[in-house]
Order: sequence, then C-alpha cells, then structure tokens
Amino acid sequence: MKNKQHNQVWIGTEEFKNDPAFVAAQQSEFVELPVIDQLSDAEAGQVETSRRDFLRYLGFGIGAATLAASCDIPVRKAIPYVVKPDSIVPGVATYYASSYVRGGDYCPIIVKTREGRPIKVEGNPYSKLTMGGTSARVQASVLSLYDTSRFDGPARIKGGQIEKNKGGLAWADFDKEVMGKLTATSRIRVVAPTLMSPTAKKAIEDFKLKYPNTEVVMYDPVSSSALLQANEQSFGVRAVPAYQFDKANVIVAIDCDFLGTWISPTEYAGQYAQNRKVNAGQPKMSRHIQIESYYSLTGSNADHRVPVKPSEIGVAIVALYNEVAKATGGQTVSGAQLPADKQKKVQAVAKELVAAKGAGLVVSGSNNLGEQILVNAINQQLGNYGVTLGFSRYSMQRQGSDQAVRQLTKDMNGGQVDALIVWDGANPAYDLPNAGEFVKGMSKVKVKISLAIQPDETTMLCDYVAPNHHYLESWGDVEPKQGSYSLMQPTITPIFAAVGRPGTRQAEESLLVWGEAPGLNKSADQPYLDYLKAHWESAIFAQGQSEFKVFQAFWDSVLHDGVYELPAAAGVTVFGADVAAAAAKVRKPGNSEMEIAFFETVNLGGGQYASNPWLMEMPDPITRTTWGNYLGIPVNWDGGNEWQSLKGLNDREMYGEADQVEVEVNGSKQVVTCVRQFGLPKGTVSLALGYGRETTGKMGKALGNKVGANVYPWLMIDSDGNTQYYAASVAISDRVGVDEEFACVQYHHTMGVTARDESGAVVLDEATGKPLNVDEKTVMRLGAGYQGGLTNRSIIYHGNLGELKELTEHIAHKREEAEHLNQKTLYPYDEYSAQIYGQGHHWAMHIDLNACTGCGACQVACLAENNVPVVGKTEVSRHHEMTWLRIDRYFYGDYENPNVVYQPMMCQHCDNAPCENVCPVAATNHSSEGLNQMTYNRCIGTRYCANNCPYKVRRFNWLDYTKADLFAINEPLLHDEELPFGADNLTRMVLNPDVTVRSRGVIEKCSFCVQRIQQGKLTAKAEGRGLRDADVRTACQTACPTGAIVFGDRNNKEGEVASRMENPLNYLVLEEINVRSSVFYAARVTNRSEELDKA
Amino acid sequence: MTYKSLMLRFLLAICLLSSTWAVYAQDAAAAADLDAGKSLFQANCAACHAKDMKSRLTGPALGGVEERWSAYPREDLYKWVRNSQSMIKDHPRAKELWAEWGPVVMNNFLNLTDQDIENLLGYIDGVYKGTYGPKVGDGGDTKVAAEPVKTDNTPMFIALVLVLAVLAVVLARILSNLSYLNEIKAGNMAAQRRTLVEVLTSRGVIGFVIFALVVLGGYTTVNNAIMLGRQQGYQPEQPIKFSHATHAGLQKIDCQYCHDGARRSKHSVIPAANTCMNCHKAIKVGSQYGTAELTKIYASVGYDPSTDKYIENYANMSEADIEKVYKKWIADTQVSSGGSVDEAKIQSEWDGIVAALTNPESGDKKVYGPIEWVRLHNLPDHAYFNHAQHVTVGKVACQTCHGAVEEMEVVYQYSPLSMGWCVNCHRETEVKFADNEYYKSYQVYHKQIQDGERTKVTVEDIGGLECQKCHY
Repeated sequence: MKNKQHNQVWIGTEEFKNDPAFVAAQQSEFVELPVIDQLSDAEAGQVETSRRDFLRYLGFGIGAATLAASCDIPVRKAIPYVVKPDSIVPGVATYYASSYVRGGDYCPIIVKTREGRPIKVEGNPYSKLTMGGTSARVQASVLSLYDTSRFDGPARIKGGQIEKNKGGLAWADFDKEVMGKLTATSRIRVVAPTLMSPTAKKAIEDFKLKYPNTEVVMYDPVSSSALLQANEQSFGVRAVPAYQFDKANVIVAIDCDFLGTWISPTEYAGQYAQNRKVNAGQPKMSRHIQIESYYSLTGSNADHRVPVKPSEIGVAIVALYNEVAKATGGQTVSGAQLPADKQKKVQAVAKELVAAKGAGLVVSGSNNLGEQILVNAINQQLGNYGVTLGFSRYSMQRQGSDQAVRQLTKDMNGGQVDALIVWDGANPAYDLPNAGEFVKGMSKVKVKISLAIQPDETTMLCDYVAPNHHYLESWGDVEPKQGSYSLMQPTITPIFAAVGRPGTRQAEESLLVWGEAPGLNKSADQPYLDYLKAHWESAIFAQGQSEFKVFQAFWDSVLHDGVYELPAAAGVTVFGADVAAAAAKVRKPGNSEMEIAFFETVNLGGGQYASNPWLMEMPDPITRTTWGNYLGIPVNWDGGNEWQSLKGLNDREMYGEADQVEVEVNGSKQVVTCVRQFGLPKGTVSLALGYGRETTGKMGKALGNKVGANVYPWLMIDSDGNTQYYAASVAISDRVGVDEEFACVQYHHTMGVTARDESGAVVLDEATGKPLNVDEKTVMRLGAGYQGGLTNRSIIYHGNLGELKELTEHIAHKREEAEHLNQKTLYPYDEYSAQIYGQGHHWAMHIDLNACTGCGACQVACLAENNVPVVGKTEVSRHHEMTWLRIDRYFYGDYENPNVVYQPMMCQHCDNAPCENVCPVAATNHSSEGLNQMTYNRCIGTRYCANNCPYKVRRFNWLDYTKADLFAINEPLLHDEELPFGADNLTRMVLNPDVTVRSRGVIEKCSFCVQRIQQGKLTAKAEGRGLRDADVRTACQTACPTGAIVFGDRNNKEGEVASRMENPLNYLVLEEINVRSSVFYAARVTNRSEELDKA
Repeated sequence: MTYKSLMLRFLLAICLLSSTWAVYAQDAAAAADLDAGKSLFQANCAACHAKDMKSRLTGPALGGVEERWSAYPREDLYKWVRNSQSMIKDHPRAKELWAEWGPVVMNNFLNLTDQDIENLLGYIDGVYKGTYGPKVGDGGDTKVAAEPVKTDNTPMFIALVLVLAVLAVVLARILSNLSYLNEIKAGNMAAQRRTLVEVLTSRGVIGFVIFALVVLGGYTTVNNAIMLGRQQGYQPEQPIKFSHATHAGLQKIDCQYCHDGARRSKHSVIPAANTCMNCHKAIKVGSQYGTAELTKIYASVGYDPSTDKYIENYANMSEADIEKVYKKWIADTQVSSGGSVDEAKIQSEWDGIVAALTNPESGDKKVYGPIEWVRLHNLPDHAYFNHAQHVTVGKVACQTCHGAVEEMEVVYQYSPLSMGWCVNCHRETEVKFADNEYYKSYQVYHKQIQDGERTKVTVEDIGGLECQKCHY
C-alpha cells in the first residue's frame, strides 16, 4: 500500500500539490474568476456607460416606478372546473402507483400529481424488488414528460426532416398510409430494447396474425447478451438469474457496476446495503471485492479493489476459477497468466470466496461468453446457486441479443427486410458498435416506422413516426422478474392531444391498429386499457391466485398496489457447460502500452437519457464531472506531495481548465477532454458511453445534443458476436487544446480537510506527526494547544471493521473534546435546548455513510422537489451550480488505489448557525423547531451568509436560472437550446407549486423540505394525533435506495431518528466549531481483509 | 376575535337554552329527540330541503309532511325516506310526488333507523310550527353577532384643533401686545404693534407649518406606500351576479358546502359549475334576476333546463344552436310566469350570458366551458396559506377573515391580507391546545399551564411568527 498515513482523507490531486488556488478555494465560498475573462467577452466589451446614460436610466427608473405604482392592480381570474373530477381536490396531491420502464430499466413507483399533472416520482414501498428505492434516472424521468422536443403527433419524415403539416396529420389518415405500405407477406422486423411487458408481447403476437413474417429483435445498448447466452449454455435458461446480495458474505464483482448501472442497480443496492450497515454492538458486514479496469461507483464502495487492465479481465477470471477449482477439487483450465502481483491478489480473493463457501457471490458485467460461463462455474463450485443467486424468479430485465441485431444488420444490407419498426427506446443508428452499417442497411429497407417519443438518430432516418406516449401517460404492465408483475397507469391525460394536436399514441396500440387485431376495440375510450385488462384476465388472473373471485376486484387491487407476485417457481441449478471451451474463449491480454475501458454512467446510461438536463448536470459520482464524458487518465504518486498524471495533462484542473487530447482507436480519432482519475491501473484510460448524441430533439437543436464524444463506433465485436466495451490498444496524443469550461465540481465548495501554512504546505502536528486541521490562521499563529485552536477537523471518520472498537473510542474522544470546547461559550445552548428545542419538534437527519453508495438519486430528487434550477455547462464551470444537496467524495487509504467515502452534504441546520448572525436583513434565521430558515423575499444578496457557512452549502442565484425576469442577458442557455430551458410553459409544469421559484439575486439552500414538514404536521393536527415518522419524509430520504438517510423529530423518542442517534459511530461534521448542526453522520466502516492487503 | 366569539357563544347558548326549554315545555311525550333530528337534518337533508321547512328548494318543503302521508301506514313514509325510487311505480303518494318533482331523484338513506326518521320528523314539525329553536329570520345560528360600535373621534379632534388654534392666536396677540408695551416702556416710541398678518407670516410660524406639512406628508406617503398592492375593499363585478346574501344568508347554505376545499386543502376552492347544478337543476328561475343569471350556469355546463337534460356533445355544438336552446328557455319562462314574449329582453339577457362566459382577450369565444370568476383574494406567490390549517385545525370561522359574507350581495375583500394583519392574528389567537393530541409534544407549555404559570398558548408561542411557516 502506497500511503503515508492511512487515516488521511483527501478529495483530489490538487489537495496534495499545495496548489494556491486550492488553498484559496477552501477558504472562501465563492471562486474569484479573473475579471479579464469577462471583459474580453465580445458583448461586454461593447458596453459603455456615460453620465448622460446614467441620468437617462435614473429618470426612466423613477418614472417607470411612479407609473407602475399608480397603475391598477391587474385583474386576476379564478377559473374552477366545469365538472370537478372526484379524485382531484385543488391544492391536495394525489398519488398513483405505476411503473417506470425504459428499456431494461425498471422501478415500481408512486407518482405524485397536483391538479392532474405529475410533479414527482417516489419509490413504491410495496415492491419486494426495490423496497421503495429509486435511482437518479427514475427521479429525473418526470422531467422528460415535459420535454419540449417530444413529437406531438404522427408525422412523415423526409430527408431527415419532419414534414411540416398544418394542423398535424390525423391518426386515421396516417394509419391508412402506413397500412398501405405493409402487406401480409412483408418481411417486417421490430427492433426493440428489452421488452418486459407481457401484454406488449401479446400485442406483437396479434400483429403477427396479419403479418406472419414479423420478427422481433431485442438488443440492449449496454449489452448483457453474453450473460444470457452463458446461462442458456450452463443451465438451459436464457435469463439473468435472481441475485441476492443481502445473503452474500463475500461479494466479488468483476467489471460489474451492480450498484450504479448493471441490470437492476436499485434492487441490488437495497440488498447490498442490508449487509453493509454496521451495528456497533454486533459488528458484522459483508466483504466486497471489486476486480475492475475503470473506477466504477461499485468499485468505489468496495472494501478492496483490484485494478486490472481491460484486456486482463478474462485472465483474471480464469485465474480466479482455477484457484477456486483447486480449493474445491474442480477441474482446472489452462489460460494465460496474470502479472504476478495481480495473480497474488486473485489468489487471496479466491481464498476469501472459498472460506465463505455457500454464502459468496461472484458477478461479472463482462460481455464475453467464455468469461460468463467461468463465472457461473465459480458460483457453481462454491455452492452459491440456490443461496445467493438462482433461477427461481429469474430476472427479465435484460433480454437483448447482440447476435440477433448483428443478423438484422446483415439482413437489411442483404435486402432481406421489407419493413423496419423501431420501438420506442431503441436507437440502433446511434448505439450499435457498427451503427454505420445499420444506417446503410436502413436505406435498403422500403418502409421504416419509428415509435419513438422524441427525435433521435434512428427516427430521423425513418419514413414515419408514430410517437409513443411517455410512460407517465401510458397504460402498461411489466414482468421484471418471472412471476412478479407490475402495472403502469397514466397519471396525466396525454398532453399533446389534450391541447388540440393530433397527439401521441401508445406503441402497442399502434401495432394493434396496423395489425387490425380483433382484440382491440378501436372505438373504446381507452382501447389499450381494455386490451391490457383482457390479457390480464385471461393470462394472469387465471393463474394461481385464490384471493379474488372477481377480475375487477383483482385488477383494482393490483392497480392500487402497483405490484403483484405469483408464487415463485423452483429454479434449475444443474450446471452443464464446458469450462475448458469457455476458457479458450476469454479475451486475450493485450500487449499495448495503453488500453481504454468504456463504461456506462449512472446518469446517462447508454445515451437514452441524454436530453434530460437534470441528469446531464448531475455530477458523475466518481469523476464529479457534468455535461460531457471525460477521458479518465491515471495518476501516480511520486512519494511526496506531487502527483504525476498521464503525460502531465490536466495540471490546471483547479483553475477550471482541462486539457483536450486526441484519442485514436482503430484508426478513428476524436478529441476528448481529460479528467484526472485515481484508481485506474497503469496504462489504462476510461471513457463513458452515451455521450456525443447527434440528434436529441427537433431539428437537431435541443438539449444534450453534441455533448461529449460518441464512443460507440470504437466498440469491438468479439468472435461470438458480442459487443466488447474496451479497446486493447489506444493512442493518446499530447495536449491539443484546452477546455476552459471544465464543468467538474470536484473542487467547488470544498471544506478543506487539512491545515496549511502560508506557503501552502500541510501543517503536521508535532506530537503525532499527523496533519493538523486549522480553520483560522490567526488562531494557529497563537500556537497549537491554544484553547479554541481548531485541530483535526471532523469531516470524515472511517475505520476498518476489525478496529471498530478503536474507531468508536476515537469518535467518542473527539466528540468529548469538541463538547469541551463548545462548553466554553457565551451561547447558552443548553438553556435554549431545554426551553425551545426540548418541546414540540426538533428536526434532525441521520445519514449512514456505510449505506450511502453515492448513486445520486437523492440529488435529483432534491432538484425535482424544490424547483432547483439547472444552470448549464458554462455556469457549472464558474462554480455556479445550484444543487442544494451535493455528494462530496473523499478518498482514503492507498494513494494510487484509494477507497472512497461519499458524504451527502446539505444545509446542516445548525442551532448556532454562523450564517444567521451575519445577515444584515435577518433573511436567514432560526425556527423553534431547529430549522435554519431562508426567506427569499427578505434576501438582498449580500452573500455574507454563504461566506460564513463552514459547510459551503448555500447557493446564490447569480443569473436568472428560473427564467423569471424579462432580461435575456440574465437568462443563461444550458446548451445551445432554442428557447432557454424552463422558459416555456410545458417545462414549467414540472414545478412543485408548494415551493417558491427563486428569482435572481438571492441565496437559497436546503430547507429540510420544509413544505413536507408543514404538510406532515398539518395531517397530524387535522387527525388530532401525534406526529409519526411516516408523516414527514424528505425528498432525499424517500429517493434513497439503501435507506441511508433518515429524517425526523429527535424529540420523538420512539422515532427512527432517535433510535439511530444511539449509534456510537455517529458524529457531527465540524462539531468542534460549536455550530450545533442537526445532521448526524455514522462513520464509514470498511471490511478490509489483512490477507488481501498483504497480497 | 375574543369579543366576537364570546358574543357568538352567548347567542348560541341562548338559542340552545330556549330551544331545549321549548321542547320540554311543548311535547315531552313525543319521544323524538329533536336535537338529534336537527343534526340528522343538517347532515342529510339540508342540501336539498329548505331549513325553514316552508320554502321549496331542490326538494319540496318538508313542513307538514306527516299530514300529507297520514293516509298511509307510517312504514311507507320510512320507506320513502330510505329509498324513494323503489316506490314511485306503485305507491299513490309516491307517484304524485314523482309526477311533481321528477326527474330530480332523492338520495337513498338506507342507514337511517325508524327512530332516526322519527327524530327528523319531530324536528321538521318543530321548526315548521315554530316551536323548536329560534324563529326563522331572527338571526340563525351561523349569523355572526353585530360588530361593536366603533366610536368616531374625528369631531372631537377637529374641535380640539380649532380651540388650540384660537388659543395660539390669542397667545400670539398677547405676546405681541406685551412686547409692544415693553418697547414703549423701553422708550422706543416708534414701535408698532404687530398685526395678525405679520404674526402669521413670521418665520417661526411658516417654519412650523412647513415642518408639520413634511411630517404629515411623509406619514401619509409611507402609509399609502405600504398599502400599495393591497386590495382591501376590492369589490369587482363578477360574470354572474351570484349573491352570497341569498345563498349563505337567506338559504343558510353552509360555506363549506360549496367551498369544500377549505377543510382539506390549501385552497378553499371556487365551486365547479356542477356544484351549482346540485340545487339549480331544480331551482331554475332566480328570485332576483329570473333567468338572466342562472342560464349562464346552464350555458356553461350544457344543461337544457327546458328538457331537464344535459345536452349531448355540447362542446361541439354550434353557437347558433346553443343560442336557440337558451333563448327558447328564457322565452318559455316568460310565458309560464304569466307574461308575453319580450324579444328585446331575451336578446339582452342572451347578450349578457355571452359576455359573461366568453373572453375575447384570452380568445375564449365559446360560452361552453368554465366560468371565469374575478379573483378577489390575491396573496403574493411567495406566501403560503393553507385553509385547512385554519378551518379544520384552528377552527377559525370563515367570517373572521372574510367578514360577514352572508350579508354581502357582492363579495368584497374584507381583510387587508397584509403580513402585519396575519402576524397580529397569530399573536393573539389561542391554539386549541388541550383538545388536540398533536400538541402533546409541547411538554413545557403543558406543565406551565398545569402549574398555573401560563393561561394560554398562542400561535406565536408554537412558532407561528417564524418565516418558514408561510414562506418556503
């Protein structure tokens, strides 16, 4: 382990370099941008102000004010319903259970609607899969409903342009035209992402009755094709097994981001966290080892990471298999050798697995058939099947076949396809490795129909588009796991049809109409609903349930709950694959100097979420970059305070500048921006998929267009036809340019973990030799040991499971010390506490850093709940991001392969808040319930509070991000969109009406979701009972897939917060500065193995 | 608040006392619990049957119902109350009623017991004969007591100012005389007496007047500036001449019957037109404006009062056809009320209907669709107000903030709706502390009340003045 002090925590390379900019940044809230930048701005250069102008504006201002004041107040109208729907009470939210589905992504949800429009998505706690958890993508999906670039009706597409049609094309005419192009003998191919809907599959069968030469081709942009093939060969089941991360004591994940992106991350994270929360009384947690080539979210949560080059993954699996086989008496296979140091690590990993026999779990995200078979064989030899994974209730969340889509490309090019129907969510012209060939093939297909919801690369090459509803407008069903169902119901009237346009139509319905299916009653009010119900009555109601006699009662019950499970069938576990053959198929280690790993990001997926600005602006948990994909370049430690990055690139990250390099893979070149990345194996760089979309909106002029680089053309196809997400050889050029708008939030709002002297060097405590933490230099000059001198700032506490006792003692000692300091104060906290906070409510939050995986669901939920604006790349690069909740990422441990702890950081609602004392207008003050209140209409924007906030959680509206005023110059564009994002009425429908939309020039921050607090209190009062935990749950809390965040009234001794307060791992961030904050954190505990450390 | 509520309680107590007395004195043997009957009536019947038992509303006047049914067994009447539709085929009295009142269907009340119905009948009879409770017209129970007479002190101030001014002039005269005498005494024979004009134009007086004007002017300016954007007394004309005095005052319809959001939502909710139709399916001609106003409701929802049916596919009906339907209705009404057809009046009524239901500014050219009421109470967007909090939890009477709406022909904004007004009320209003389990967590206050250190807990005491109670 290359580390000086294993206790140390750091946030990035600059912190060690004593970069003066970093030192300055941790001292002040707002970054000082060079004025020259703004003056050199062409527009700014033309501005001149003379004395005469000044007088003119002054006169105009006074005149306008006088006129405005004397004018009549505008007459406002109150327009009631004509016939009020029973389910709507204006001002009261209505909730519906539904399901989020996008390709293979699935989450059972509860949709919050106000006055008939969805404004927020929450997890459905009835689901046994996700247990109420959500992901960032699910949280952001409500915004895509109001995407202005959606199709508002069926259209012809000619020459890559949507044909203009006054008043729109009527569905009836459109259907006639489309059906005229299809004949009974047409060879039709439906290309789709993973389809989990049993009724959609039935609809396709019905479509086939009229067009028998129809075939469905499913594929996933980030494919699990090899996993499915491997299971078919091993067990005869072409499916993803059901994993039970909660039952595993040792988890080994090989290039598998199961907490972030792999198959069903919300479900897996929920299971995983159950064994990761530490009870200090009975310390027990699972051990998680990650073998990977890039730094994934899952890797960052692991106890141990074994970094290997992308091309070495196969050999690593072979090595692991052989070690396990040796220990369990299995048949070993031959294969290439890993480098000796990595081989030793793998041997140690195998030992761990064998020791946990029957309660281990090996998973791999590899898309190589041989590797997946070997992984199956490892689990088989360890006896894990039936315990931690199995085929009872297997998953249907990935069904795509790489071979099928390859065949389709071939058939199209060979003229074997007459018609192509592109299902909503499939975008093969963008996300196939051989997308170019697919595009060529498309030109040979006579008629191409897209069912996409909004323009994308494939749709614009089609002849027709029959736009699908958004999932929040749709009826539907999902079978994410065998025998486990979930319904989808509309929570809003299909938007476009309701405002007089031709409108969208459910994709399944379109197929049924074209197929003239007898099961579809076209004249019904909601034809697809009837079809769906009929299918459920015949296929699902009839199966093994005895609770309901009448179908309608059964239907109502399932619709209410959102989820329904049939009894599980037994799974097969007879392993029958040829391991020796499999070993021959694994990828061969490369001998190139530089390799590149491609990966899916938590926010953007395979690119299907590119037009969603909430996700675009959500920082990647690991690189902390926004608005683009950045080439992760490895950094090496020189043994001192210096870091050496690849080719000395990116030495000015701290200044908001990143270097651009030319990356060449297989002869094709692209310019990409770099970001320094810890934990990458030497000679490996990484780059995310899903960026560089060419068409995300109408006329190619919408959000998410041409952001970052498209890496799909660089992907390889192996001999089995599976897509490979790495390149064994890559050439990285020297610096070719500089991105001056480096939108990485890593160094924004840093709290500064260590103390520095005037030259910027880390100050070490003479007694212990450990770094000192000092907030105020003046205090420091008076000498260490001076009472009040702030040493060893408590931001992160972490320890190993084996040293839990030491850790709790350490925390207790530090807290005692802080309490001792805090007692020497004029501020009579105890008195206040007893008199004011001791009765009524005293709100507090508890965050378990062991459960937090850094997935970012809370961050997006916060945006949705609190009308937090997105600001765009330029503004992010100027430190102007508005997020109320950020997830700080701290490294610790081995310098070159560190562990990570994520710390969700929001307003800490200090009872002795430093921000409140400095506000000249009392715009921020304290409530009797312990809330730090922010009153926007009082705020005059001095920003003293933000400067005085030790946690740096206050945000200032530098520009008119919410598009509330009329001056265009104050309204920044996010990304070259035609109309500023949020300026139109459609996008604004997503706003939460209970939260003020802040104007320019005020400070805002986390309010502990005060609107939810007030609502919860009102419910309790109206019912005349005490407040319960369930009444008040913050947006971040409900979004969390792992239950890391708990909010409540700490005066309620029966509440969950009060019980979590007992945890001896708890601490307050910066407790020693006597701000009396209200957010408690439980220290991070890792379960590192000594043997693995030594190996 | 306290004064009014005391008055209210006093009145209520008197009502209650007198009524119970009346009951005992009059008919103790009837075994009907008239108070129970009253609450049953209010819960089940009052929406359709007039409270005075004499006038017709959506349903017939109930007074004398027992006599009308006396020819049949008592069970028939019970059955009629519980499920009237089951009887309209073969029961003679039921047939009669259906012929008169159909197609208005009376709700079923299957849960009412025989005793409940007896209680109801007792109450109906009591009210009808005037032996139960206060007589109609002498201040019902929802009526708010008269406001205390405010004494106007202006004449006294004017008199005071005049007296002081005269005093000042007299003093000035005395002073100038004295100084004149002083000068004479000192030997300055050229000295002259200062005239009144000279005194009034002296520097001191002018200076004082200017000072006074600045102070007064500043005071007025500031006060008026504070009032900018407030609309107390705002009384715009509404598209329909809806009279709260008639509905809430005369007919005593509960505020929350129409404004049903007040108890459960932040908005009190302007009732949808179909709420109006609950009653106005039956009451088709208004007492004040005849067909002129009520037809607006019909035209907005597409109800044809001539045939008592909703018009099918009304949204797509042509304007001319719509005009025909409602002009026919207006003409028919003119005839049936004993007059002749007055074409000019029909045209002007129809023009009024079109003007009320369309809005050329917003492009709404169809009479079909919602009625655009002019919004009276406009809180700023950054202020959060919740009706349920005040009505359901705080049990604040609607009139506290909205004034005596039941007396307003056209409603106006009664309160200033300023922050100061809110805050003052929160300072003074006592929380219903003892009878709501929710407040149990305020242990310190409970103890103080127990120990006698505190007599009441105001909204302010539980944080009612804090910013984020209303601004978030």
